[in-house]
Parts: sequence; structure tokens; C-alpha cells
Amino acid sequence: MSEPQPLILVVDDELPIRRFLRATLQDDYRTVEAGTGAEALSLARQYNPDAVLLDLGLPDLDGLEVVSKLRTWTAAPIVVVSARGREADKIAALDGGADDYLTKPFGAGELLARLRVALRHAARLPDAQEVFEFGDIRIDLLFRNVTRAGEPVHLTPHEYKLLVTLVQHAGKVVTHNLLLKQVWGPGASGQTHYLRVYMAQLRAKLEVDSARPRFLITEPGVGYRLRT
Amino acid sequence: MTVARKYLAATAVVALASALAGLLRAQVAASELVMIYMLGVVFCATRYGRGPSLAASALSVAAFDFFFVPPFFTFVVHDTRFVLTFVAMFVVGAVMGGLTDRVRTEASRAHAAQLQAERQELRNVLLSSVSHDLRTPLAVITGSATALQERRELDPTTRAELLETIRDEADHLNRLVGNLLDMTRLEAGSLAIQREWLPLEEVVGSALERAQRLLGGRAIHVNLARDLPLVPVDPVLLEQALFNLLDNAARYTPAASAIQVRAQHRDGTVELCVADRGPGVPQGSEAQVFDKFYRAPGTARDGGTGLGLAIVRGIAQAHGGTATVRNLAEGGAEFAITLPAPPPPTGAP
Repeated sequence: MSEPQPLILVVDDELPIRRFLRATLQDDYRTVEAGTGAEALSLARQYNPDAVLLDLGLPDLDGLEVVSKLRTWTAAPIVVVSARGREADKIAALDGGADDYLTKPFGAGELLARLRVALRHAARLPDAQEVFEFGDIRIDLLFRNVTRAGEPVHLTPHEYKLLVTLVQHAGKVVTHNLLLKQVWGPGASGQTHYLRVYMAQLRAKLEVDSARPRFLITEPGVGYRLRT
Repeated sequence: MTVARKYLAATAVVALASALAGLLRAQVAASELVMIYMLGVVFCATRYGRGPSLAASALSVAAFDFFFVPPFFTFVVHDTRFVLTFVAMFVVGAVMGGLTDRVRTEASRAHAAQLQAERQELRNVLLSSVSHDLRTPLAVITGSATALQERRELDPTTRAELLETIRDEADHLNRLVGNLLDMTRLEAGSLAIQREWLPLEEVVGSALERAQRLLGGRAIHVNLARDLPLVPVDPVLLEQALFNLLDNAARYTPAASAIQVRAQHRDGTVELCVADRGPGVPQGSEAQVFDKFYRAPGTARDGGTGLGLAIVRGIAQAHGGTATVRNLAEGGAEFAITLPAPPPPTGAP
């Protein structure tokens, strides 16, 4: 018998949205659906889902509250869904323990990709990977070197740390604050201009056209994502 | 200004008139000093309304008598001709005050009526434009979806086309709604800008990423000057402004024509430009294209709301910058967002 499909808890108060999500997910996942925050919390306890897809605009509870309540007992990845222009909400959800976000409206492909990444990260054992590749870039995490089309690329220690942090979260958004903390330490919080300068340098070294990056993607107002 | 402050200001004006008259008393006759007081009264009438201007008239009579009518520094009057001057002064002051006050009220009433009419006009245009622009993509979506539902014998190519159409029109609808929201926020003044120091390259990258589908297979040339400084801007809003310029270029230029994105640094500003190879903007309408609902004469209804460029200007202005357009000698239009570029923060991590 094959392994059971992962169970996704889908939380959205709009029935047509839930219908579309169900249709998109049904081939690869099992789903349970909740229309309110309270229902979401009780179903989460009952079913212990492998991942949660959570709309932040719920009728009863603040979506952020749902995230923090879930995080008190489960490590299952949470992907939040929010509207464009609500970057502050997205950052708050991510800082509060959500793993990634989708901006409404989104397509089926995007949704499946985000869920796949989130589930993969949840399943991965720490330090499992020694080499990470994207495009013609190869990062050897053990020997700490980076090559581009086989040629060594020289990165400064900060650039390397920044790249590795993105690699560790490959495919997921990483907020400015988390990157600052990981690369420069807790004192650097809020100093996003450091980050942007280093990011620009990293792009210049790793992207073909740094103004149209293929891998080191900007999530405006939120952070960066290493696209895989 | 509170009522008390208006009376206080009127008193100050009379004091000022007295001081001025005092300075000039050696050069001019007493009857001409009256004119200085009259000027003060007119000033009070235009600025502070009827009550304070009446007070200014009375105070002017008293001050004139006290300082400039012999015997000086008393309210006693020996020459009875001055009594006539006083009466004339007060009456002229009061009448003038009343008249100016009325003119003022009329003017502000007319202004309010004009604003009201403009708002009404705006609402009408908005309603008709929005209902048309929202309904068109909705009609296409409904039509395509029902065709797919009811005509099961459609060949795969047609089915794929209909699905593509649904997706394109839904994207379009999403942009319209986004523009409407942004415009409403700009007009209500509730658009809070969150400045961060960014390289423009990042804004260009994310706007191009989002516009990818819209730009289709067009050649996009990106040319960013090497010396661009970090600029303090709202990443989300500036990306929206650039996205709207790209949307505009894609909409009004031939399908396969190239688009150029440029940025340069000069005289304490940065300039972010989108140049196209389309027909350019009509001569003389360079400022109007940024007005709400403006459409260049002769442009067919194209599915735009006429808000995209107004939002670009609104966002540029919210950053203390400007949005402009010029026609290029080699053909096409170049839209530019110019933003202040103060010295960036120093100190390396």
C-alpha cells in the first residue's frame, strides 16, 4: 500500500474559493475545510493536518491569531493567503510563524508549488543537504564554495551567509528581518539598506541580468525568495 | 481662526495702521492718514469678516482721534470738521466691511458649489467608466465559461483559447480593481508611504516580473546607470507606479514593439523612465495624460480605466517627486518618474 496523501486543512470563509482549492488539491492531497477561525482551530486539533492553507481575512478571528494559536502546538507548515497591498499583515504572519504566503488572486500552479515547498521543508532533516544547485550555480555547503558554470565565484562572508540563508529556505519567502538576523545578528534589525546592497551584489555575481533576476526574487515590501 | 483671535487680529491691524500713520505724519496731511486706516479696515473685512471689520472701523476712529487730531493723546476734539471725518470713516468702514464680507461669502459659496459639481461629475464619470470597464471583462469571462460548459464538442484549440481568455480577462479585472483601490486611497489621503532605502534595480526587477504576462514576448531593454544611489521610497508603491507605466506602454503600442526601462542619477534626483515605440502622446496633452479619466482623442476604448497614469503621478507626488512625459525624436513616448535622491545612510554593516 502506498503512503497516504498529505492532509491539508483549508481555511477560507468563501465557499467558491474552497471549491476551487478542493478541485486544485484533490489529485495530490486529502483536504479538510473550515470556514471560520474557530472551526479551523478545532479541526486542526482533531485531524492534525500536514499543512494549513489559511486565508487571513476570516469573519470571526484575526488570521494572525489563528497562526499564533496553531504555533503553540504544531509545527505543520502554514501558508497564508492575503490581498495585495497588505504587506504588513504578511510580514506579521510570517514573523508569527507562518511559512509562506500567496497573494490573492493566485493560480493553481502557484498554489501547488508553494504547498510542495512548504511540505518539503517540513519533512527535511536538518543538514541533510551538502550541495545545492540552481541554473548554472552550484553551492557546496560542506566546503563553502560557490561555482558558476564550473568557474569559482568569490563571495564575501556576508554575501555567502545571505545566499546560504536563502538556500536553507529555498522556494520560500524569507522576510527582511529574518535575513538581517541570520546574516548580521540581532542588532541589525530594521537596517534593510544593508541587506539590499548585499542582495544587489549577490545578484550581480550570480544572475545573468541582475535587473531581471531569475532566481533571487524580490517580494516587494516583504523579503526575498530563492526561486527553485 | 477662532472669533476671539479674529478680533485680536483686527486690533493688531489698527495698531499697525497707527504706527504707519505715525511714521508718515510729518509728510502727509491728517486727512490722508485716514486712508491708511481705511486700508486696514478693508484688510480686516476681507480676512476676518463683518464683526472684526466693524470693530476695526470703530477702533480706527478712536485711534485716529487719539493720535492725530489735536489736542493729541486725548479723545477731545476742538475742530468740529473732524467729527464729520469720524462719521464718514466709520460709515465707509462699516459699509465696506459689509460688502467685502458678502463678496467673500458669495465666493466661498460659489467655490463650494463648483467643488460639489466637480465631485458629482467625477462620480458620474467614475460610475459609467467603471461599470463599463468592469462589465466588459466580466462579460467575456461569463461568455467563455458558458461556452466551455455548454458546447462540449469544441475542439481542443478553441477550448484552450477560451480558457486563456478567461485567465487574461480575470487578470485584467484584477488590475482594474487594484487601480480603483489605489486611486481611492490616494484621493482619501490614506496612502501611507513606508520608505525604505532601495536600489532602483530591485523595483525594476519586481515590476518586470509582475508584468511578464502582460508584456508577452516583447523585447525589454533595461538600462540602469551604474552610479544609481539608494533612494528612500515605498517599494510596493513605486513598483506599482512602474508597473502602471509598463501596462500603459503595453496597451498603447504595437504588440511586438520594444520597451525600454532606463534610470539615471542627476542633480540630486533619480529619473526612472519607460520609453516605448508607439504613437507618442498628442502634442499639448503632456500634462493632461496624467489626469484622471483622460483619454487621448482618437484612442478607442481600450479597457483601461484612465486611472493608471493618475496613480503614477499620485505615487510620484507622494514621494515628493514628479511624473512627466515627452515624445521622443525617434518616435514613441518616454514617461519619467523623477524622485528626490538625498544622500543615502552611511555605515557598513
